[in-house]
Amino acid sequence: MLLASMKDVTFGYSDVPCLVDVNLDILQGEFAAIAGPNGASKTTLLKLLLGLLKPWKGEVSLLSERDSGRGKRKVGYVPQQIAAFNAGFPSTAEEFVRSGRFAAQGSWFRKLRGEDREWTELALKQVGMWEQRSRRIGELSGGQKQRVCIARALAMEPDLLVLDEPVTGMDEASRNGFYELMDRQVRKHGTTVVMVTHHLPEARPYLDRIIELERKENGGWKCCTTTSCRGHFAPARSSRL
Amino acid sequence: MLHYDFMQRAFCAGALIALVAPVLGVYLLLRRQALMADMLSHVSLAGIAAGAYLGANPTATGFAVAVAGAIVVEYVRRFYKTYGEISVAILMIGGLSSAAILMGLNKSLNQSVSSYLFGSVVAVDRTELVLLFSVVLAGAVFFYVLRRPLYQIAFDEETAATNGLPVKGLSLAFSLLTGMVVSSAMPVVGVLLVSALIVLPASLAIRVAPSFAAALWMAMGVGLVGVFTGLTASYELSTPPGGTIALTLLLLLLAGVLSKKAYARLAQRNQPQLDKAEAAAIGPAAGFSNHTTLH
Repeated sequence: MLLASMKDVTFGYSDVPCLVDVNLDILQGEFAAIAGPNGASKTTLLKLLLGLLKPWKGEVSLLSERDSGRGKRKVGYVPQQIAAFNAGFPSTAEEFVRSGRFAAQGSWFRKLRGEDREWTELALKQVGMWEQRSRRIGELSGGQKQRVCIARALAMEPDLLVLDEPVTGMDEASRNGFYELMDRQVRKHGTTVVMVTHHLPEARPYLDRIIELERKENGGWKCCTTTSCRGHFAPARSSRL
Repeated sequence: MLHYDFMQRAFCAGALIALVAPVLGVYLLLRRQALMADMLSHVSLAGIAAGAYLGANPTATGFAVAVAGAIVVEYVRRFYKTYGEISVAILMIGGLSSAAILMGLNKSLNQSVSSYLFGSVVAVDRTELVLLFSVVLAGAVFFYVLRRPLYQIAFDEETAATNGLPVKGLSLAFSLLTGMVVSSAMPVVGVLLVSALIVLPASLAIRVAPSFAAALWMAMGVGLVGVFTGLTASYELSTPPGGTIALTLLLLLLAGVLSKKAYARLAQRNQPQLDKAEAAAIGPAAGFSNHTTLH
């Protein structure tokens, strides 16, 4: 099932477009990576996909349909180096992860229930930060902050997880643990995961698809094409690399 | 001291400001808008000067101009997305320069100007108290009802937007409230020092408090202590209330930060074993785990 798609999207920040004629489909329940050299507009592609930027032309559709029974679909977004952005934020790791629950039910006003505490605990345990739950975010190391940010996205019970270079600041063991965690989210819960990464070789065994951004030669623009490994509409399960 | 009518009003007004301004400050600081309060008060001064020049009620025109400034800064901020402080500088210049010109046009204003600049407890009249009370009430409702969206927006606006929050609207409402609080707090602490009440308790709280909720309560507590101590000192020593309150808050900030440092050093010396245990728990052993479901 199609979860998100971009059709002939062109976008640029100044008068020169940096993404040209992007066509991209994200299927439900796939683990996709976006790869490309620095400056290939990977983050821009994610922001367009999330609706944070409006394309010059073309169409972006994300989560337009509603899931029957489960209410509106939820997007967990972990921006690039979000942890470094607000380092002094005076909040405990637990408070921060719990804030992911606010968006989980689509209500910002209801009382928090026992279920919310359980999801918070689970998310903190999944990233191995449960023991440090009452520490302030500012006191954590870069890699730990990154984990807490991932935990907040997980606590949302997201249908789509969008991660921008999530393994930055993590050691090798943590990176592998992270890929396995994402893999389980995809296989067991049907979560769709889209991540930008520079660690393609080590992530490859877990991925369903790699979207590569390439430089287009004609016209001298820096622009991008997307290629899929096994065709856009192949069933996610069978197309594992 | 409290036999005097004007002191009762000053304490009442001070308490009201001290409850809402520091909470506002915590969010302003986290949104990198610490100077916004200062800017709005300078812009508001232009409104006061204009009101006096045109023969309107200066409090009302100051309030209106501060609110207008809050709306404008929100749009300028969107224009300079990554440099939020530029919008503050631009509007501050606009406000202060027009205030200077308007005051120059109106010679009779000059003696009352100092009470606007540095605050005056006598300046708090009934109208201002009513205005202040309604603003504080609106602020309390705003901060209580929207505490969760505000938490997310204060951390990061982009993730808040992907969570479905109307970031622009909330941000504008927040700016409006800032303008309202700043202009209604001005009679007590004055134009030049109104930001002290907003910024100083908050900067102590976000440094010292163990959690976000604690930071909000702590900022309120520090604000109350600072205002009451400052007003009392200002009465006893016949000093301008704005300066006295701001200086008291500055001393509280200094004492708080220093005692936090001293406490941390003491804890380090006394509990080396606990530190080791903690280090073990934080060490590389804690990794991603394979729990996937609840229960």
